[in-house]
Formats: sequence, structure tokens, C-alpha cells
Amino acid sequence: MHPPISLIFFFLTAGTSIGLFIFMYSIEFLKLFGKGQGLPEEVILKLGILELILIGLGAFGASFHLGHKLRAWKAIKRFRTSWLSREAVFSGAYGFSLLVYLILNQLGANPLFEHFFGILTFVLGVLSGFSTAMIYASNRFVLEWNSSVTVIYYLLMYLMLGSTLMAYFSYLYRLPYLGTFIFLSFLFLVLAFGFRLAFNIRQFYLKRPTMNEALNLPHNRPIRVVDTGSTTDNYCTEEFYYRKGKEMLSTVIPIAYLLTFIVPLFLVLYAWITGTVNHWILGLTYIFVLVGSALERWSFFVEGNHVQNLFYGLYPEEGYKLRKGYMERKETKISLYG
Amino acid sequence: MAQFALVIDLNTCVGCHACATNCKEWNTQAAFGPLSDFDPYGARPEGVWYNRIMTYETGEFPNTQVFHLPKSCLHCQDAPCVPVCPTGASYKREQDGIVLVNYDDCIGCKLCSWSCPYGCREFDEADKVMKKCTLCIDRIYDESLPPEHRKPACVLTCPARARFFGDIEDPESEVYRVIEERNGFVLFPDMGTNPGNHYLPRIETRVNLEEFEKHILKPDNPLFLEVMKRHHVSNKTQLPEEKQVEEVV
Repeated sequence: MHPPISLIFFFLTAGTSIGLFIFMYSIEFLKLFGKGQGLPEEVILKLGILELILIGLGAFGASFHLGHKLRAWKAIKRFRTSWLSREAVFSGAYGFSLLVYLILNQLGANPLFEHFFGILTFVLGVLSGFSTAMIYASNRFVLEWNSSVTVIYYLLMYLMLGSTLMAYFSYLYRLPYLGTFIFLSFLFLVLAFGFRLAFNIRQFYLKRPTMNEALNLPHNRPIRVVDTGSTTDNYCTEEFYYRKGKEMLSTVIPIAYLLTFIVPLFLVLYAWITGTVNHWILGLTYIFVLVGSALERWSFFVEGNHVQNLFYGLYPEEGYKLRKGYMERKETKISLYG
Repeated sequence: MAQFALVIDLNTCVGCHACATNCKEWNTQAAFGPLSDFDPYGARPEGVWYNRIMTYETGEFPNTQVFHLPKSCLHCQDAPCVPVCPTGASYKREQDGIVLVNYDDCIGCKLCSWSCPYGCREFDEADKVMKKCTLCIDRIYDESLPPEHRKPACVLTCPARARFFGDIEDPESEVYRVIEERNGFVLFPDMGTNPGNHYLPRIETRVNLEEFEKHILKPDNPLFLEVMKRHHVSNKTQLPEEKQVEEVV
């Protein structure tokens, strides 16, 4: 699949915004039960404004993958059936609810209303992330994505982005939660790493359809594409088969793993074990996670193989190996003349 | 419920691309047009087509067969592209089962094309909306046209008469009959889309003339011209007409 840059941008901004809010509000929520001291109001204001800007930027950026940006509001019309519609509704509602929560928090309004909107924003943020992940996971024609693993690691990456940035802000504002967030960063880095690996390993065990199934021909009949009807690429071959990306994938995936998980894990472990905490270590951890996540998203799209590629002979038979020499692989000899 | 669809006979389709060309010609100027082209006379022409013809080869050399597969929107009865549309621009008509896109509501998110296992939806970079086969809905209901012309452009133009159009749910229709009689099949049956468009399988026809060779009057025979002339004038000469036909499905 062709990776849309605007959707990668949305993942990074919305992921950071929602991840950060989840941890920010969790601290406030735990204060209700006498756990922890909560956050100073000015920190909530600064982080809240950052979250608002990020979700706003994400929504604006995501509109660039639409043909008609001014009609984007119409995306709320099919909430009942479309995950994209649900994502649009939940993301918009998350931003609005976050704004109300911030206003109530800063005005010192009744805690009942404040926490009502806090919990609402929390839930809407999670639902927004879940809906975005479900757009991919519910697509049964891209088998690599069509799994609950996609949803789990998508949400874990939101938490990974949020926890690493929250660890940085804990140090920046001298909050008493630095140790907690270094641990949480480590935890979500490990979990996201594990589920991303599972996502990749799963691809090698997929039972993939064949061109014979696509064309409804007997399974043992050798078949190959002679002509695709046009001398150049068309929308289908460009959107569903990113040739340049496929060539670069084997290089990009290790770099994405390195930047997203391995290097940040070492940085967090270094900070945790040695107790050496400074702007550089925590800032770099988030930067690495951010840049790595962009590459990881890019890989996620390029790894996806749409079953319509079967009609063009561009569908892999197993793993990343593309269909080559299909006829030679078949042992059954077919003679149409008896 | 009625389900209008195409039935394409792979046995007679010669892969001439006339259906695709006439589809483009009609639809680029009609209600659902234009179908944009980019660099049409350059080195890398690209454009939107409702209908594309793929060519495949089956079997192993030397016993191979080539067949052509015209592929346009299959107007699935359980169309997966419809529920994913966030705006409702993509919809399936109840009265005839045709899947259409409302260009005024389409935001061009491309999600419907991601949800089509056949690759039958194409994004128009000029209009910024998703486009697909409409079964020439602006022709088939046009009462200003003679009844025999109220068919999709591709069906009307097919020189091999390989395309049929009608209601596949109506037992009285021609398409229903040919699907029943000739074991019409659909593409990707495992995907749960229940496509409307059907294909008629290839039937291999072999003509064995060995037995009849002695009866065949070849042009190098000195009597050829004379016999042909007599046949033409009196129409009494009987040329062998029996052929042994072996069918292999």
C-alpha cells in the first residue's frame, strides 16, 4: 500500500496528544483517591494547550489526504458503519472535550464537572485511537493488517509516545513522577516492541490467497499475467503496490525498529539504571521514538499487500518473497489436451 | 431484489479493448464524466478507466491458453466498499442493485478502494473523487433511446457479442439463463462479496477434420472453381458440414 504522509503525520500528532493526555489525566484522577499530588495548574495548562495544538495539527494534516478538504465535515455522516467516520467523530469530540476540561480546570470549577470532562476526554481519546486502528484492522483485503495485533500495538505506540514525552516533561517541570514515567516508558517500549514483532512474525504464517482463487480457477492450474491492459501504471498499481517502497522496505524496517524501540530502550534503561537523567537523554528518547514511529508507520503501509494485487501478479506468495517463477513451483503437470 | 449486472463470456472475448474504449468514450462525456487523462499523448499516459482488460495465460508450454478478463465494478450484492464510506457517498441502489458514488458527497478519502478486493474503483486526480463503473445508468433508463439501445456502452459495442446485461435475479432474463446453462462463475468467491457480474467459462473447441479431409474441396484442386461456381449458381452442391466437436470445460 502507498503510505500517505498526512496519515503518518496524524499518527504522530494525535498519538502524542492522546498518549500525553492519558498520562496527564491519570495523575489527576489518582489524586481523587489520595494517590499522588496531582499536577500544578500551570503544567496542566501548558500540556493541555500542547495536546490541543497537536490534535488540531493532526486533524488539519490528515485532511491533506482527502480529495476535498472542505467536505471533511461530511465524514461524520456514517458513524454507524464506517470506522473512518467514527475516528473523525471521536477525534473531534476528543479535542472539544479536552478544551472544556482545560477551561474547567483553569477556572477551578466544580470538580464533578471537571472530572466528568476529564474522564470523557480520556475515553474519547482511547476510542479515537481504537477507531483509527480499526480502519486498518477491519480491512479484510489487506491480510497483514487484518488482525487484533494491529489494534493492540497501535494503541501501545500511542502510550509509548505519551509516556516518553511525559517523562521529559516530568524532568522539565520537576514533577515527582519522573521515576514512574521512566518505568512506564520502558514498559510501553517493551510492549510495543513485542507486539510490533508479533505483527511482523505473523506475516510469515498468513495463508495467502492465490491468483487462481482470485480468478476462480482450479488450484493446480498454472497461470501468469500476460498483460494488464495498460502500458503504464494505473491507480490500482500505484495505490496498492508501492514499488519503490517495496524495494526500500528491507532497509527501512531495521532502521525503524532501531530508532523506535532499540535506541529509546537503551536510553531509558541507562537513565533508569544509572540514575543519569537530563534534558538530552529524555528529549532524545522522545525524538527517537517520534522519528522511528514515522518510519514504522511508513513500513506498516508498505508492508500491507492488498489482494487486488493478485490480478496484476504483484501479490507475495509467502512473507516478503514476491511471486516469481510461479509455474516452476508447481509439480502437477497439466495438459489441456488429455 | 433486482440485481443488474454484466455477464461476460470468456469463450468469445477476444481482448480487443473495444468495451473499455467505448466505456471511456461514453462516460467521459456523460453524466458521470469526465474520466480524466494525464499525459495522454506522452510517454507515460495515465487516466481513469471504469473497465480494464487483463490478459492471462494458463497451462504450461506448449499446451497453453490465453484468455482475456474484462474487469469493471462487479456491483457486489454485499458490497464491502459501501459501509466503509464515511460520508455515505458510496451507495447501493435498492431498485436495481447498482453501486454508485455521489460525487457531491465524496471526500476522496480512498477508503472504498481499499475495501474493494477487485481493484475496480479509481481515484480521479482531476476531480478528486472516486469513480467507478455505473453500468451506464444514464443510458439504461434513458427513455429517449430506442429500447435496444438501453444497455451499457460496453455491451452495445462488443464486436464478439461476449457481454450480456440484465437482472441476474430474474429467471426470465437472458443473463440468468446463460449463468445457469453455462455455469457462470464470479471472481474471488471466498471474499464474501457476492459479486453481481458473472463470467462464463472458456470452452475449448477442437475441430477434427481428418475424417472429412477427402470430402473437402481445396482451392488447389483444378475442379475447385468449377464446383464453387455450380454451387453458387444452383446451390445444389453439398459441402461437408459435419464437424466433430469436442468440448473440454
